[in-house]
Amino acid sequence: MIKQATFYKKRIYPLLFMFLVTVICILITSGLFLSTQERATANELSFTRRAILDAGGLEYTPTTEGIEKTYKEKVQVEDGGSYYTAETAEGKRYILPMQGPGLWGTIAIMVGLEEDLTTFSGLAIVSQNETPGLGGRIEEPWFTQQFQGKKSPFTLVNEGTADAPNEVDAITGATRTSEYFRNLTNRASTDAKRIIRGE
Amino acid sequence: MNGSITPLAIFFASIFTGNILLTNYLGMCSFLSVSKELKTSTGLGVAVIFVMATTTPLNWLVYQHLLIPFGLEYLRFIVFIIVIAAFVQLTEMTIERYSEPLYQSLGIFLPLITVNCAILGVSLFMVIREYSFFTSFLFGLGSGIGWFIAIIAMAGIRQKLRTAKIPPGLEGPGITLIIAGFMAMAFMGFSGMIALS
Amino acid sequence: MAKSKLRKTFLEPLGKNNPVFVQILGICSTLAVTNKLQNTMVMVLGVMFTTALSSWTISLLRNHIPSRIRMMVETMVIATFVIIVDIVLKAFYPEMWKQLGPYVGLIITNCIIMGRIEAFALQNKPFLSLVDGLASGLGYAYVLLAIAFFRELLGTGSLWGYQILGSWWTNWSIMIMPPGGFFVLAIFIWVIRETIMKEEKA
Repeated sequence: MIKQATFYKKRIYPLLFMFLVTVICILITSGLFLSTQERATANELSFTRRAILDAGGLEYTPTTEGIEKTYKEKVQVEDGGSYYTAETAEGKRYILPMQGPGLWGTIAIMVGLEEDLTTFSGLAIVSQNETPGLGGRIEEPWFTQQFQGKKSPFTLVNEGTADAPNEVDAITGATRTSEYFRNLTNRASTDAKRIIRGE
Repeated sequence: MNGSITPLAIFFASIFTGNILLTNYLGMCSFLSVSKELKTSTGLGVAVIFVMATTTPLNWLVYQHLLIPFGLEYLRFIVFIIVIAAFVQLTEMTIERYSEPLYQSLGIFLPLITVNCAILGVSLFMVIREYSFFTSFLFGLGSGIGWFIAIIAMAGIRQKLRTAKIPPGLEGPGITLIIAGFMAMAFMGFSGMIALS
Repeated sequence: MAKSKLRKTFLEPLGKNNPVFVQILGICSTLAVTNKLQNTMVMVLGVMFTTALSSWTISLLRNHIPSRIRMMVETMVIATFVIIVDIVLKAFYPEMWKQLGPYVGLIITNCIIMGRIEAFALQNKPFLSLVDGLASGLGYAYVLLAIAFFRELLGTGSLWGYQILGSWWTNWSIMIMPPGGFFVLAIFIWVIRETIMKEEKA
């Protein structure tokens, strides 16, 4: 009898306890996950749409509803989503989703081009995995906004010294990421011409 | 998907330019305390290489074939830790059973590794960066080697510093962190190694 | 008597027994994000939340946990709270979530949480453990916020994303790069130890 009780205490009880704790933990996390899942996916979508709006140079209220409203009003999905168009006060904008290798993983961006498919109207990062604080700074407004009005092919210059319409500031301490990014943006014009106009 | 980043480049990058410790600050606790002794540092370093190189692809398998098909990605924190802990436990028991000398030089460090944030960190990075199976292995191996190099170098330097006069406020963790800072700067110099295609 | 114990429990981790610069615990997960004040704030709130509630939960269960599986249970509880933080961030603060990446998950391996549970929560009542966890989190928080303050200010001339220093300031780029984190933390420890040691000698 005593042997059975000790066996229970040493082997069964810990297993039971562990199992119970695991189940409760999983229940709590799953419950929370399921109740916020819709919101999380909506956020993902909002991110992509916001990038499209930023690339096209469109004004919008920076809330989920604002983004969705402006997106639905102004943006046309073309060719099954291979590119988007938007009418702005300055002319028609073509927005191209692009992907390319970064230092640590894929960099995904939205490139906004003017009618000539060479001049950039804007650029927005959809996702990146570069080193936080270094390559990760490509997400900072000063970096993305500098592409407005510039034409590829781009040349990298030291941070803060960009002058000519094809020069872009690299990120100090993130040379590799800057170079990968330049390679990506240099492809924008040719890719756009091929996809949109079949050239 | 990774275009011109070859797995080999990721391997070298994870040792030098993206060193798990000097660039990503992971695995600091044991790094600061164990690096006092060169011998223990070597033991711990090798154990880290082993565990990282094995648990990263293992976690990849679990993530791809268990978590994703059931939509349970959000549980990856719990699952990865369980995998790492179970694997380490199994390895420790096996080593203890079959090789006493190996156990003495390696096995005793294994429990310490389970709570090493670097091990979990490498698996989490692997998920975020969407590496393939083979790349996960190289990434884990490289990160482990990088951690090993960092702790060995630190131990060597600290050994030399034993007779040096250090300001009392800096003794121990203070000076170790400053050395780590310089090492981090030195490793940043390696970024020229990775050639672009 | 109870009140002074409460006071002691709360104040110790803030100063004498500060987890970061006295026990040198838990710098792993957050040091990487200290190049931006905003990110650091979110991370330390996550750590405070996790430490306080994990301590409280384990303390509630302390008389029922079999000692063989003690560490696994602790890890499970900590992981659960961290997952909660991760899910909440992803749903309500997606931009933050993207910026923090894997570092939220690494709160689980933060030695402070496990350390406080082992050293305090297992032997003390739930409410006291909650306070201890909260205070340890706070002690951790202000050190990391201080580091982030200097790193972001000197490295980018801004705080919380708002430009503070004018164009006369040349950014100390080293501050936002990895070595900067090491140096600032080392200097911080040095300053604190010099002042504490001077106090103890006096």
